Amino acid sequence: MNFDFTEVLETIMMSEVEHFDIRTVTMGINLRDCSDRNINVVTQKIYEKIVQYAGNHVKNAEAIETTYGIRIANKRVAVTPVSFIGDSFTTEEYVKIAESLDKAALEIGIDYIGGYSALVQKGMTPGEENFIKSIPLALSTTKKVCSSVNIGSTKAGINIDAVKMMAQVIKDTAYITRDNQSIGCAKLVVFCNAVEDNPFIAGAFHGITEGNATLNVGVSGPGVVLEALKNYRGSSIQDIAEVIKKTAFKITRAGELIGRKVAEKDGVEFGIVDISLAPTPAEGDSIADILKEIGLEDVGAPGTTAALAMLNDSVKKGGLMASSSVGGLSGAFIPVSEDQGMIAAAEKGHLTIEKLEAMTAVCSVGLDMVAIPGDTPVNTIAGIIADEAAIGLINEKTTACRLIPAYGLGVGESVDYGGLLGKAPIMPVKMLSSDVFFNRGGKIPAPVRSLTN
Amino acid sequence: MKISEELIREITYKVINDLGAEATHDKVREGVEKELAAIQTVPGNPEKFEGKVLVTSFGLNKPGIVARITGTLAEMDIDLQDITQRIMQDFYTLIMIIDITSSPKNLKEIQEALQKVADELNIKIYVQHEDIFRYMFRI
Repeated sequence: MNFDFTEVLETIMMSEVEHFDIRTVTMGINLRDCSDRNINVVTQKIYEKIVQYAGNHVKNAEAIETTYGIRIANKRVAVTPVSFIGDSFTTEEYVKIAESLDKAALEIGIDYIGGYSALVQKGMTPGEENFIKSIPLALSTTKKVCSSVNIGSTKAGINIDAVKMMAQVIKDTAYITRDNQSIGCAKLVVFCNAVEDNPFIAGAFHGITEGNATLNVGVSGPGVVLEALKNYRGSSIQDIAEVIKKTAFKITRAGELIGRKVAEKDGVEFGIVDISLAPTPAEGDSIADILKEIGLEDVGAPGTTAALAMLNDSVKKGGLMASSSVGGLSGAFIPVSEDQGMIAAAEKGHLTIEKLEAMTAVCSVGLDMVAIPGDTPVNTIAGIIADEAAIGLINEKTTACRLIPAYGLGVGESVDYGGLLGKAPIMPVKMLSSDVFFNRGGKIPAPVRSLTN
Repeated sequence: MKISEELIREITYKVINDLGAEATHDKVREGVEKELAAIQTVPGNPEKFEGKVLVTSFGLNKPGIVARITGTLAEMDIDLQDITQRIMQDFYTLIMIIDITSSPKNLKEIQEALQKVADELNIKIYVQHEDIFRYMFRI
């Protein structure tokens, strides 16, 4: 037989017991050819193009799941940042675009559509300003639309005016979706150094330098890494780094195969594999549990950042060997609400926003799904965003904030969305004022790239 | 999916030219739809299954498991190409390589038929394309 008995069983165990799945197959679709002066023409063109290209996306992905026996958790679409399509539109007209995206997403049966986005790291056009103002309403009137705004980059610096605006948008979104535990905020990301081929929601968009349509795939597999590490208790750190590399290799290979096959069936170009460890709220599918298995009493213990750095680096090394087209965010995600172990650590007070911030300096992708008190002032939210962006700015990496200032709730309470979004305990925020800093306005200039201490 | 706007435009021009003076709105629409339907049902377009399939089964050992599985495969005209089995205490693990190209059934139907066997015998049966096993462990 050409197949190794243990390898075949290992593959089946991974998907059956250890929660291995392909987290998402995301089709990126260019919408730049949908522009027009008339908003009704634009929304019709957008709807038609998405249905034309991704109409069978869910069906095709399901067929590939059946053939290979590997689950694909999410089938999604990302589109060109919407602000590029309609720079002349009003706030109300942008909301209509969001509604047409939502309608298309419902029609083709995907779970989320990303790309209600703008890139304003250097400056903002009047159209982009209208667009940003439309986000709270757009997120409250749609179900499947996700939004992201890039407010900084290593090449351009940080647009503090945009940071302030986004802090206000986050507050407004929390308020306008208050009847639903401020869920709008779970669909809104503020980026520094956003990437153009990220398949993960809520930050996915089809980059402006991409082709007409591509298929990007995001892998998962914290459960697989955790199970592998359980066999190496007492081994040295180099040894477990090696185990993580080997595991990442296998899951990335599976991701590449599945991604290429779905792309082939969809009839679009294959883009990239995002080699990420993305947790789910399922028991055992947790980054926090991996850190504990490595040897920390809980996430937040001294040594957490070091262990996470090793984990993240090993995942990349293994994944890079496995795929010829790695891209996206590629790193271990630490969303608080989507990871059983992180939720527990936050509830016990072991994990604070400050420690999370340090952790995001060495992994993907930022303060993700972090719930904070609903009465947190706008400038304090701006401060959290700017701090996170500064880490990305100086380290030439992507960082992001998906903050939920849960309306009417405070520390000790939590928001619980169920499903993949999970449950986020509200974490305390330092109530020291940043008002004077943010009232200055302006931009943080692009940083120097030498003298890197 | 592969049908682009340019193609539709091309077909429309062709239909209009063919109809000549008789080209009315309805007739052109009818003609274009016919042409498009013809393209979509080109024989061989319903994709052909390539490569082999692995059937993996495990569970509590008892008489007749291999017989039931292979019997079901035979009913569906499936060629069994290799079989390996291991017994560990009360449990068995079984891997078969099968070729389904000669079968009138598609992979999904084969999976369903074997799932029925699995449910009856209270065992696990997985039916997967071989590539997933090749890809994960080999460069």
